[in-house]
Amino acid sequence: MQHGFYFDMDLCVKCHACEIACKTWNEVEAGPRWREVVKVESGTYPNVKAMNVSMACMHCGDAPCQKACPVSAITKRAEDGIVVVDQNTCIGCGFCVWACPFNAPQLTSVAGKMQKCNFCQTPGTERPLDMPRACEEVCPTGAIKSGSLAKLAQQNREKTARRLGANKGMSGFPSVVLDAQSTFGPDTSGK
Amino acid sequence: MTYQEKKLSQRIAEIKKAEVVKSFCYSCPWNCPTEVYVRDGKVVYVKGNEDAPNNIGTRCSKGMASWWITQDPDRVKYPMLRTNPKGERGEFKRISWDEAFDFIAGKLKDIAKKYGPEAVALTCHHDPNTQFYRHLLSDLYGSPNMYAHTSGCEQDRRSACLTIFGHVFPMHDFANSKYIMLWGMNMLGANQGLFESRGILEAKKNGAKVVVIDPSFTETAQKADEWLPVQPGTDGALALAMCKVIIDDNLYDREFVAAHCEGFDGFRDHLNDKGYTPEWAAEICGIDADTIRRIAREFATTKPAISAIFKGSGYYTNGHDAGRACYILDALTGQVDGVGNLHLKDWAPVGNPVDIPDDAKTAPKKDPLHVAMGYPLAPDLPNSRLPEAVIDGKPYPVKGLFVHSTNPVMSDPDRDRVMEMFKHLELAVACEVLMSETALECDIVLPETSFYEMAEVRQGLWLGAEAIICQPAIDPVGESKPPYEIVQGIAKKMGWGKHFAYKTWEDWAATATAGLPGGLEALKEKGFWSAPPEYNKVGKGLETKTGKIEIYSHAYADAGHNPYPEYVERSVHPDDEYPLQVTHSKLSMHCNIVTQNNPMLMEICPENWVEINSADALKYGIRDDQMVVIESPKDNITIRAKVVEGLVPGCVSIRHGHGFGHWAMGSVAKGKGAHSNNLMEIHTNPVTGANCYNECKVRVRPA
Repeated sequence: MQHGFYFDMDLCVKCHACEIACKTWNEVEAGPRWREVVKVESGTYPNVKAMNVSMACMHCGDAPCQKACPVSAITKRAEDGIVVVDQNTCIGCGFCVWACPFNAPQLTSVAGKMQKCNFCQTPGTERPLDMPRACEEVCPTGAIKSGSLAKLAQQNREKTARRLGANKGMSGFPSVVLDAQSTFGPDTSGK
Repeated sequence: MTYQEKKLSQRIAEIKKAEVVKSFCYSCPWNCPTEVYVRDGKVVYVKGNEDAPNNIGTRCSKGMASWWITQDPDRVKYPMLRTNPKGERGEFKRISWDEAFDFIAGKLKDIAKKYGPEAVALTCHHDPNTQFYRHLLSDLYGSPNMYAHTSGCEQDRRSACLTIFGHVFPMHDFANSKYIMLWGMNMLGANQGLFESRGILEAKKNGAKVVVIDPSFTETAQKADEWLPVQPGTDGALALAMCKVIIDDNLYDREFVAAHCEGFDGFRDHLNDKGYTPEWAAEICGIDADTIRRIAREFATTKPAISAIFKGSGYYTNGHDAGRACYILDALTGQVDGVGNLHLKDWAPVGNPVDIPDDAKTAPKKDPLHVAMGYPLAPDLPNSRLPEAVIDGKPYPVKGLFVHSTNPVMSDPDRDRVMEMFKHLELAVACEVLMSETALECDIVLPETSFYEMAEVRQGLWLGAEAIICQPAIDPVGESKPPYEIVQGIAKKMGWGKHFAYKTWEDWAATATAGLPGGLEALKEKGFWSAPPEYNKVGKGLETKTGKIEIYSHAYADAGHNPYPEYVERSVHPDDEYPLQVTHSKLSMHCNIVTQNNPMLMEICPENWVEINSADALKYGIRDDQMVVIESPKDNITIRAKVVEGLVPGCVSIRHGHGFGHWAMGSVAKGKGAHSNNLMEIHTNPVTGANCYNECKVRVRPA
């Protein structure tokens, strides 16, 4: 069953706790950033918008890093789809960095080997898959979820259904209207 | 118990092969309850306490990274005594604790004899462990000058709360609110009270509207439904005009106001007499009159609602009345202490750690400094005026200073004057974990334990009554000692040892927690004790003079100030020579001076910067990411510029000036970013005594 992350940018406040939890749990030294929160701004004063995205390895279904690796150091685990790199085989050439669309592979460590998010499977400190990842556990607003893609899809469907219900003014749902950016405002349609 | 039924903390402890210690975090004053995982005397992981309502198991980046302090090679490990004259950068030699206690006790006796005990003051950070210093220096020694850090923080808010609601620290029931109006309060960006941050997002999910009034497009504005880019220092005008709209349109809560508020009729007349109309306010604050009316009406007709402030509407010489006007909006609409409102936080029954009998106490013979300085309504020391007391002896001499978990050399305005002040002290004691810039100006530096190495019992900052406990997870680093042992050592040398007779921390903690259900043992086991929030305390009588919500403030009237909030312009305005107004904003991953020697946090944010609107950047030839020189009439700094859209033109926003730019402290912190406090002249709020950091004008050019 393929595992991965779900990220809700409506909830991320760019506090960076996920990055620190990742480092602490997996005992990553300063330099490589397995996870990083990035802020994107748009618009002109005073009509400004911004969003925050916390990014790590996406554990892609058809992982470009794996294809690019000349020494087959990167494997995709059959049982859970997690993409891992074998530190003993990696030669630190950086092809994976070029191939990855998310800049997930990190080559900044002194050892010169590639490292990246391994879904908290660092040897000696592996988190069973029914636990939250360290980044998910620490997030004060619940912006990051992890799990099998089937579970994440189900959660997201429920969230969308609630929004649709809310939009129809169903009882038990808050009375709100939606705009295109999925932000909420008071329902003024009845006034 | 099956594997799946185990609590997360048990499973983590098994994976990390660690013991779990229930504790709390002191990376910021919000003190989230935590679990510390310890293996072989080392902290190997930290997590939020999943049962605690504050953070339900989560952390912020500052707290998550805070374990670094337990292995920071820059920790102060031994008591250190200055060997060279004051005024030069401090050189120190290692001494024993016994020598340190002798030195301090000798100086304290000397100062009491020459100037009286009132000449000794303490500044700290509302840290309950400083209660031990208060018992020593106030109860026994006889100084009334035991102060915290608030004048560099939310002094204007605190003063507004106290004078209107008789409550020192209201919190916010955001999660249950339908309309949230935040004045200069970047809850999500500062990200300290995690349940409050979460509450804003939960409220939004439930259909609440969030309005942010701030010159900066903050992290909170980013999530808001509306951002009102107000001109700096004009929040008071905007809030007063909203009050007038709500009264004129009969949208105020007549029943609530009649039953619980003092001085409504006079306030209505005051608004009329002053002509605080939306059109008047629009000219001042830059928000058009129609928007002011619309927001005021929305606020008054959507319930429950919150109008909340923190620091941003302060930091100006008119910040006290801005704060009062923002809170009067809550009072007029009856939105005080109900579900989804500003919450007059409940307190837990936490007592003093030691009992000093009355006959052992020494009553001070002089007024406390804030009263003697002419700021009787100041909730804390107006510390921008402390140099005057030390250097000029006004209103009376201060010759001894204990500095505990504050760093005035970095944090107070006009750094030159603060450093000059230390030269004139006969006893300056720094209780420190790192050799801070303030420690370098002191006579003696006492190495303190970090919060991972000591115990503490305090009020939890959650809506309901809450007590939290910090327990030592590891041994003290070097010879460092916790405050309760340091005070015990000094007290013994002063002949007061019998009042601090505890042998272990549990001895005094049992005294402090005697009134809590379950006492100390239950607290140690669970890490916190909490009760559900109590609502609607307004009718039961508040701790104001009249017992009511004082729109007409008797405290203000008695102190000779206008009992109603008025709008007076701030003191410093940009001009042709210095065309930009300074504002300040925080960073989520740094907290004043606490976090800058942490390599994990410095990796995310290694320096501070100044933000400037793109229109101003074009005018002054500034490119994004370029180093620039900011000049005020007093000093200049070189700092990185970020060209942004989300900032009112005509001002700059310096990110986190009180922390960055260390010139001495910490191998990681030193030399990173710019320290901006020397740009400021000293401006003190005339009522609250707050430091007015934003009363500063500058010009900017490429470096």
